[in-house]
Amino acid sequence: MANTLLKIENLTKSYDGNVILKDFNLSVRKGEVIVIIGPSGCGKSTLLRCINGLEAIQSGVIKLDDEIIDSKSKTITKLRQRVGMVFQSYDLFPHKTVLQNIILAPTLVQKRDKKEVAAEAEQLLDKVGLSDKKDSYPRQLSGGQKQRVAIVRALCMHPEVMLFDEVTAALDPEMVREVLDTMLELARQGSTMLIVTHEMEFAKAVSDRVIFLDNGEIIEEGAPQSFFNHPKTERAQKFLHTFEFEHIK
Amino acid sequence: MKKSIFVKALAILTATVLLIASFAGCAGNESGASNSTASTADKADSSTADVVYRTLDEIKSSGKIKIGVFSDKNPFGYVDENGKYQGYDVYFANRLVKDLGVDVEFVSTEAASRVEFLETGKVDIVLANFTVTDERAEKVDFALPYMNVALGVVSPDSRVIKSLDELKANDEVIVITGTTAETYLTEKYPNIKLQKYDTYANAKTALENGQAAAWANDNTEVIAYALQNKGYTVGIPELGSKDTIAPAVSKGNKTLLDWINSEIKTLGKENFFHADYEATLTGTYGKDYEEKLVVEGGKVN
Amino acid sequence: MQALGLDVLFKGSNLLRLLGGLGKALEISLIAVALSLILGVLFGVLMTFRNPVIRALSRIYLEIVRIMPQMVLLFLVFFGTTRVFGWDLNAEAASVIVFAFWGTAEMGDLVRGAIISVPKHQYESAFALGMTKSQTYFTIIIPQAIRQLIPLSINLITRMIKTTSLVMMIGVVEVLKVSQQIIEANRMTSPNAAFGIYLTVFVLYFIACWPFSILAKHLERKWSN
Repeated sequence: MANTLLKIENLTKSYDGNVILKDFNLSVRKGEVIVIIGPSGCGKSTLLRCINGLEAIQSGVIKLDDEIIDSKSKTITKLRQRVGMVFQSYDLFPHKTVLQNIILAPTLVQKRDKKEVAAEAEQLLDKVGLSDKKDSYPRQLSGGQKQRVAIVRALCMHPEVMLFDEVTAALDPEMVREVLDTMLELARQGSTMLIVTHEMEFAKAVSDRVIFLDNGEIIEEGAPQSFFNHPKTERAQKFLHTFEFEHIK
Repeated sequence: MKKSIFVKALAILTATVLLIASFAGCAGNESGASNSTASTADKADSSTADVVYRTLDEIKSSGKIKIGVFSDKNPFGYVDENGKYQGYDVYFANRLVKDLGVDVEFVSTEAASRVEFLETGKVDIVLANFTVTDERAEKVDFALPYMNVALGVVSPDSRVIKSLDELKANDEVIVITGTTAETYLTEKYPNIKLQKYDTYANAKTALENGQAAAWANDNTEVIAYALQNKGYTVGIPELGSKDTIAPAVSKGNKTLLDWINSEIKTLGKENFFHADYEATLTGTYGKDYEEKLVVEGGKVN
Repeated sequence: MQALGLDVLFKGSNLLRLLGGLGKALEISLIAVALSLILGVLFGVLMTFRNPVIRALSRIYLEIVRIMPQMVLLFLVFFGTTRVFGWDLNAEAASVIVFAFWGTAEMGDLVRGAIISVPKHQYESAFALGMTKSQTYFTIIIPQAIRQLIPLSINLITRMIKTTSLVMMIGVVEVLKVSQQIIEANRMTSPNAAFGIYLTVFVLYFIACWPFSILAKHLERKWSN
């Protein structure tokens, strides 16, 4: 397809002989929002980390446009600038203010003008409702605020793809919503996103395509409505069932 | 690319650090072994190859001489309240400097570093209460002596020990660990029971508490002690081999050595070292020991 | 005054001499501290590399510094360089080299520990932003490590200041040597001087080290809000 942005072919990844991803194939169109779900240890996080070149792969090819993502190559830092990533653990730099966190990489890595980046950062912060926190340090923020700053930080690099690795998993429940709303807004604006999450309702709302991963393989994939309402495979059914409860009264 | 430059810079840094470290390692071997006679011979060879010292003429033309002295051994070499070097050694040093017609830089030395300073030519002369021994004479050249030292024994007036033979079987003698007195008594009088202390202060307390019959040390030390503490007498002012104190220069510095020797002989004619004693040592040792301690004109009686 | 021997302190230029000695001790130790901080950070970073050769070499360096008494190092650098290379280092330069050699190793070890304690996801989020390894080290990891290092390195700095008293062995007259000179010069007239003089030296060392504690507290406070 002409507008394929990210293409993964025959990817195999293993740790000390344990295969995490087996002969994995996926292509992502520009503007597509893909949600990846599956039991823990199924390889979802590893997949995102491979796409960002944080993990070395054993075989297969990951391509962004026509460029191969290879964690060991010298061009990896160039490619990473095109792929934004937000982690589960709060990963803001604790010794820098919110604004400094955001403008560090655009000015240092992309050599962009500091004023211009700062203006953009403030605009983005305003969008996520955190413009009054720009001079705060990460430790002064709540978990939800930290994750929204982390998203803004990644966005400020103007990435072509955004990877979200269970970004709400460590949050208190009342803070999950504000982060998910931010991601929904991004999706609405047409960003290309790969999202690993356990928030099934959110997945249903945000995704163009859902991928169910188990033991390093795609077991089932499809449009969110059909996947969540009529999962075809037994394993997907079983997995989705774990999020449902029978009425007992 | 940047990364590899960074790595290289760090690698060069470590290499430098380790170069220094490995040098430190081999230099360590050399000085560590300097006590053995074999390596002393090696060193003598290497020091003739490249001369470390300055000859008399070189010192004169530079206009400045470096003399290693003690800076905290009153009354031999110390610094007074105005920051000026004083003492028996310094009095002599100042005369040498005056007769040489140069300026002086006194270098504060410690007992343990006197030989090193000369072996590396970092001072021209050491005048730091330097006792002449065979071992040291292998590494430095001593000039004629200007003072005597021997061991002395101090004891309470109630029972003054005038000879070591007077000691009874259960009498003990105090010594300070590592001193000549300890070595001498252990070797020559193995039957005498020694009480050993690490510091002067502890030895002093032990004697004052009557824990031993006597205290053996350098005679200058015991003489000064007896003068300062009533009720104690130096019963044996000279014991064992009589040693001398002399100026020392770097091994092989013949011109400087000859000049100092002729200077000492000339100064003998004016009784210089007696004047030196009276100016610097009478306060500590009194007039009585002048003849015992002073060596005039380089001639030991 | 008499009993404490403090009168000796005000005799002639004794007090000025003590201050001069303190100045000498600080001059040597602070230059060495500055070098140790800079080189120690580089050495510490180097030690975190997995390269086995670098690891072995830095291990050897660390062990040499730990095993060798500083006194031996002083003799080696001051006298040894003359014997082996014929260099005539002055005593102050030799002292600075020895203390920087020692300080770099200790500082490096502290830096290594601090770097290791920075969580892995800090590296990963920096890499994910497209930063190179050296950019990550210099803007993310080292600044965080340095914040953890402050209390430990203050301890090292004050130890370095105090250990400079060893330089008297190679003829440098610093504050402790001056105090010994004063005590000895007055041992007949004021046998108690030792107490008063050492008390003064204690106060002087305290005054010298105090600003570092203040600075450390200030930085810790600044970085914790």
